[in-house]
Amino acid sequence: MATVYSVLRRPLIEGDKSLSRVTEDVCASMERKPSALWWGAFLAALTALLAGVAAVYHLLTTGIGTWGLNRTVGWAFDITNFVFWIGIGHAGTLISAILFLFRQSWRTSVNRSAEAMTIFAVMCAGIFPLIHMGRPWLAFWMFPYPNSRGSLWINFRSPLVWDFFAISTYFTISLVFWYMGLLPDLATIRDRARPGFRRSITSFFCLGWDGSYRTWLHYETVYKLLAGLATPLVVSVHTIVSWDFATSVIPGWHTTILPPYFVAGAIFSGMSMVLTLMLVVRKAMRLEQYITVDHVDKMCKLILVTSMMVGLAYLTEFFTAAYSGNRYERFAFINRALGPMGWSYWVMVVCNVLAPQMFWSKRLRGNLALVFAITVFVNIGMWFERFVIVVTSLHRDYLPSSWSSYAPTSIEIATLIGSFGLFFSCFLLFCRYIPVIAISEVKGVLSYGRSRPGGRS
Amino acid sequence: MTEYWKSLNEPSSEQDEFPELLQIGSHGFGRRGFLKAAGFSFAGAMLAGCSRAPVEKAIPHLNKPEEITPGVAYHYASTCGACSAGCGLLVKVRDGRPVKLEGNPQHALSRGALCAVGQASILGLYDSLRLKSPLRGGTQAGWEEVDREITAELDAFRRDRKAVRFLSPAILSPTLRHMIDRFLQGFPGARHVVYDPLSCSAILDAHQATHGARVLPHYRFERAEVIAGFDADFLGTWISPVEFTAGYAAGRSLEGEPARFSYHIQFEPRLSITGSKADRRIRVAPSELETVVAHLAALIAMKAGAALDLGPLGPPPAPLEPLADRLWNARGRSLVVSGSQDVTTQVLVNYLNHTLGNYGATLDLDRPSAQRQGNDRQLEGLIGELREGQVAALFVYGVNPVYDLPDGEALARAIQKVPLAVSFAERLDETASVSRYVCPDHHYLESWGDAEPVSGVLSLTQPVIRPLGDTRSVLESLAAWQGIRKSAYDLSRESWQASVFPRQTQEKSFQTWSDKAVHDGCVEVAPARTAIRPFSMVAVERKPPARAAFELVLYPKAGMLDGRHAYNPWLQELPDPITKVTWDNYACLSPTAAANLGVSDGDVVRLEARGKTLELPALIQPGQHDRVVAIALGYGRKETQRFAKIGPAWLHRRLSVGEDGYVGKAASPLLAFSGSTLRYSAVCDKIGKTGRRQELAATQHHHNIHVPKELGGERRPVIEERTLEEARRRGPETGHAADLWPPDHAVPGQRWGMAIDLTACTGCSACVIACQVENNVPVVGKDEVRRQREMHWIRLDRYYSGEGDSLTVAHQPMLCQHCEHAPCETVCPVLATVHSADGLNQQVYNRCVGTRYCANNCPYKVRRFNWFDYPHEDKLQNMVLNPDVTVRSRGVMEKCSFCIQRIQEARIEARRRGEEIEDGDIRTACQQTCPAGAIVFGDMNDPESRISKLLESPRRYHVLEDLNVLPSIGYLALVRNRDT
Repeated sequence: MATVYSVLRRPLIEGDKSLSRVTEDVCASMERKPSALWWGAFLAALTALLAGVAAVYHLLTTGIGTWGLNRTVGWAFDITNFVFWIGIGHAGTLISAILFLFRQSWRTSVNRSAEAMTIFAVMCAGIFPLIHMGRPWLAFWMFPYPNSRGSLWINFRSPLVWDFFAISTYFTISLVFWYMGLLPDLATIRDRARPGFRRSITSFFCLGWDGSYRTWLHYETVYKLLAGLATPLVVSVHTIVSWDFATSVIPGWHTTILPPYFVAGAIFSGMSMVLTLMLVVRKAMRLEQYITVDHVDKMCKLILVTSMMVGLAYLTEFFTAAYSGNRYERFAFINRALGPMGWSYWVMVVCNVLAPQMFWSKRLRGNLALVFAITVFVNIGMWFERFVIVVTSLHRDYLPSSWSSYAPTSIEIATLIGSFGLFFSCFLLFCRYIPVIAISEVKGVLSYGRSRPGGRS
Repeated sequence: MTEYWKSLNEPSSEQDEFPELLQIGSHGFGRRGFLKAAGFSFAGAMLAGCSRAPVEKAIPHLNKPEEITPGVAYHYASTCGACSAGCGLLVKVRDGRPVKLEGNPQHALSRGALCAVGQASILGLYDSLRLKSPLRGGTQAGWEEVDREITAELDAFRRDRKAVRFLSPAILSPTLRHMIDRFLQGFPGARHVVYDPLSCSAILDAHQATHGARVLPHYRFERAEVIAGFDADFLGTWISPVEFTAGYAAGRSLEGEPARFSYHIQFEPRLSITGSKADRRIRVAPSELETVVAHLAALIAMKAGAALDLGPLGPPPAPLEPLADRLWNARGRSLVVSGSQDVTTQVLVNYLNHTLGNYGATLDLDRPSAQRQGNDRQLEGLIGELREGQVAALFVYGVNPVYDLPDGEALARAIQKVPLAVSFAERLDETASVSRYVCPDHHYLESWGDAEPVSGVLSLTQPVIRPLGDTRSVLESLAAWQGIRKSAYDLSRESWQASVFPRQTQEKSFQTWSDKAVHDGCVEVAPARTAIRPFSMVAVERKPPARAAFELVLYPKAGMLDGRHAYNPWLQELPDPITKVTWDNYACLSPTAAANLGVSDGDVVRLEARGKTLELPALIQPGQHDRVVAIALGYGRKETQRFAKIGPAWLHRRLSVGEDGYVGKAASPLLAFSGSTLRYSAVCDKIGKTGRRQELAATQHHHNIHVPKELGGERRPVIEERTLEEARRRGPETGHAADLWPPDHAVPGQRWGMAIDLTACTGCSACVIACQVENNVPVVGKDEVRRQREMHWIRLDRYYSGEGDSLTVAHQPMLCQHCEHAPCETVCPVLATVHSADGLNQQVYNRCVGTRYCANNCPYKVRRFNWFDYPHEDKLQNMVLNPDVTVRSRGVMEKCSFCIQRIQEARIEARRRGEEIEDGDIRTACQQTCPAGAIVFGDMNDPESRISKLLESPRRYHVLEDLNVLPSIGYLALVRNRDT
């Protein structure tokens, strides 16, 4: 057995696992009764979800007026939450597609849950464009379908239409990609399950996986193709989301830097959310040997890089505004930092630019409690980034006569809480019923069975 | 019976051709059975349906009256009864119900315009809380029994020679005046006491002193080249603002023929609409006003070489000498007006106008105004009589003394004790609810009547709808109590025949004359003769001004006036032209005063004056005198209780009324009689913070055209302002910047556009209400305004620049700019907002899904979103809705449509006649009502149209021009007659 480790590179999976050990470890949490911790977390998430459902019910029966919006600020929590969740959803594709194509094998421990997170985050995000409509029951008018109205088409010039296509595509690809990756593991569960509901449902969903060479060959091919297909989406989705703002005429929105800025921000926030969740999952599900300090370290570095990209974007915006000579643009940014809502800007800067600077130190990257705290800060900061872009640009635009302010109502806060409730409810169910670690992929990166010392070929 | 058969092939009855079909018939429920059952049920249902249905009087025009076409609106000339200015109306009647009031262009005074209050007064007609029948002791009664009882009591009073008093505001109607006189003649010692809730008694008293007649001159602002205003808000609320605004605008027009521009200086304690338009504005505390006028009088007397003894004066304040020069140089072309209630001041004003030769030129005494007739001295006498219980019968018409006057509670108790207190109020107001009888008058749109606001100008009122309740014209009531059973129509005609018809010479036949008069709505006749003697100066007694730390000023707001229309939600939600606050009154303090008191906007302050206290939220008002606290009258009316729950109902809804259940607080207890007139200013004994806060519902905060100093302080090119000199120097046309994007859509036919003259616009806000009525804009309530969700399609942006005495104000009507490159159009995902072939930016309500993206992307922020389904439960009130305009539902965006329904109507009419649309055929609601004529709508493709001419003016600019959205609205720069 390989007991000699490389001094240069620690093994990806610690504990010198055997193949069957991996299966046992990952499947254990699905096969035992859920712990009190799980139940507590699930009930909390469900309560939050119910609060959101109640808030959305009041919204749908009464009107958008139940939100704190006004004639000047037409979007606030709704679009902030939407962009926030879409951003969260970015890590999944990045980890599963781009890191896969770049042969970053460490991704195997986190890709499954990152992809799941993506899907749940996009689900959360998808709710907001729907409920933010004044007449959500007419949401199907966003589809370009032949109709008896003349035939009346949608406005292909509107970024909201592009958004609709971008997000639905992204959701579909993410779901398919995630599902494809699940097939071998579903088959594992099927094989381990006693006859009953679990076995029948997994045998249905694993599409008759038989573990043959042919099956594996097809699987690998499809997976690689999907990865290639998903890669452009990492860039496209948030670029298109940023066009909602960039193509407008509102100072603070109307800027060409938004697409790269949004993509960097999305990867930044997605990575942080993955890390937040992983730190909890590895502890709660005793997967410390699968999601190692090394994994955390690598992700911290990614966060540091994207944090600086975001920070650079913040600076560039100010430079462009000052350099442009456009008085409205200049004011929008001065107002963003020093105006009545300046506090939100500084929350954003502290959380997104200053806090992650701690990741320069390897020692701090190894302090998991601190890493957890910083990732939470980044999540808060990234939410505020979207809030700053949406609200502070709108609330004081061209005509000072129309300047106004914005404060959320309890309904909006409950809706935001509800979206977290939905996200965590889904994620907890995922942890309970689906292997949180891609068993088949992790087995591929084990040091087990390798002839050469060094853990990896 | 034997059955024979013909051939072997003949089918037997057992062998039918279609056995399976017949089988159905032979077994079970057959065709015949079905028909029988069906027939029976049908007949049964018919019989059951033959019961007598309730009769509904919906009778179609089987023989259509010649002049009525369903769906086509008709306009009837009438006279506005909303205040005592007597403006002319054209009432738009659609399918039997009046839906909109427009100004009557043939009216000699208002010249086709109407103010916000007049526009809103149509809602009073459809007020479901208007009294529907007479009341006796607070309960419903019939007219017969009320008449019987009142007549019996009056007979007794006549026998016992008891005191009968009739209390009314200035009555414009000669018929009614005559009727009241006739009614009171029957009672020995009876008196008609007149008071104006917004009193000008001092002007009348001063003319009594100097000209020997209690008359109000007819001011002719259009003839004045130098106007000196001393606390007279003549563009806002003073006497006849519509007429004065039109005159003022005519005297300050660079496009007019001849182009002329008056100089206007305003001395005032608080910032009024008039002050906001002045070329020079000087803050004067009310106690100093008399001294300033005296100084000016002394300077003018010196120039005229006349002796004027005014006692010791000291050196005149700096701005007065140049003003005296200007006035003197414009002798006979100047005008001095004052809203002061101090008779001495008004005598000095008369002296000034006389010495400057303005009588007969800018002030007309030969055709005096009847718009104010109040005599505060007599009113004070009546109050004394009431307190002492000397009055046996009190008739109250058109005023609400319990609310209007100080000591209303004591007055209410006194009126309760009057054996026969009769109110003619349309609603159960403060006075009507303590009167024994309420004999509700018609709404003015339901009755015949007349008005002679200025001597020789007779304006007629005709009913446009059958009375909605069992109300009765006051003319008929008074006649009935004299035993005359005649309709108001007959009474009016008799009066016209007797006293108006003889004053004209054109028509020989009364019938022809009256037909034409009713059709036109306004006729000019010879003025009634008034005995006025030539000016003679009287000795003035000047009292040293009582200087106090704070002085109180009570003023009427443009929409609310004295509170008589407090029931009107449109007016409650109309942002004050200066403060932009809705649904409340407040204590205005200057920034300096507020800083000294440590008060900020919304802090509740307690103030004490005349032994009364009042707690109101503070509002920091730039341009106000530092020692003045100003409070609006007209709030805290009993009728505002109805507004508690106005607006949408939802989780965090807050009420539109204060803790006491009323909108705002009544300031009238702080009024007082002093020196024979009712005073609107007083010494404020104490003012201080209470520590509580009350957030005001303002549509615009203190933002000016400069962004805040700490954020850069840049001036935004929203308002362009020029001095008169600059404006006259017609500079070369600034070339239009080259456009990267050539026009992609040809607009071959009409291309609608609008020109708005900021020089003319006074910010009076008549357009806001006109638009609200025309376009079914909902009322949202105080809480929603506080949340910045007002729905008005047109708003008056008010910007300040400078501070203190050098504060200048700009008003800018802001509405959808109908941009050619409209940012809203590109972003809508469902094409709910699109460009029309004639250049309009159209909003398709049915298609809108409510993403609000268009509103976010609108640089002018003129789009309004339906945050809720705004309540439309009041069926009667819904009658006012314009049937040509959709009532928008929840979740859709809306905005100014350039009154597209009017464009369509004109287009259809032109097509029907086979003609082209003439320039001026289409007038948007805002344009139609604008007293200053600041708004012009028309076809920009027609080089001869008025708008094309205006848009060629060197003053023309577009707001946010550098965005290149190509707005269809051009603004004409604000011009002030001053050097910088």
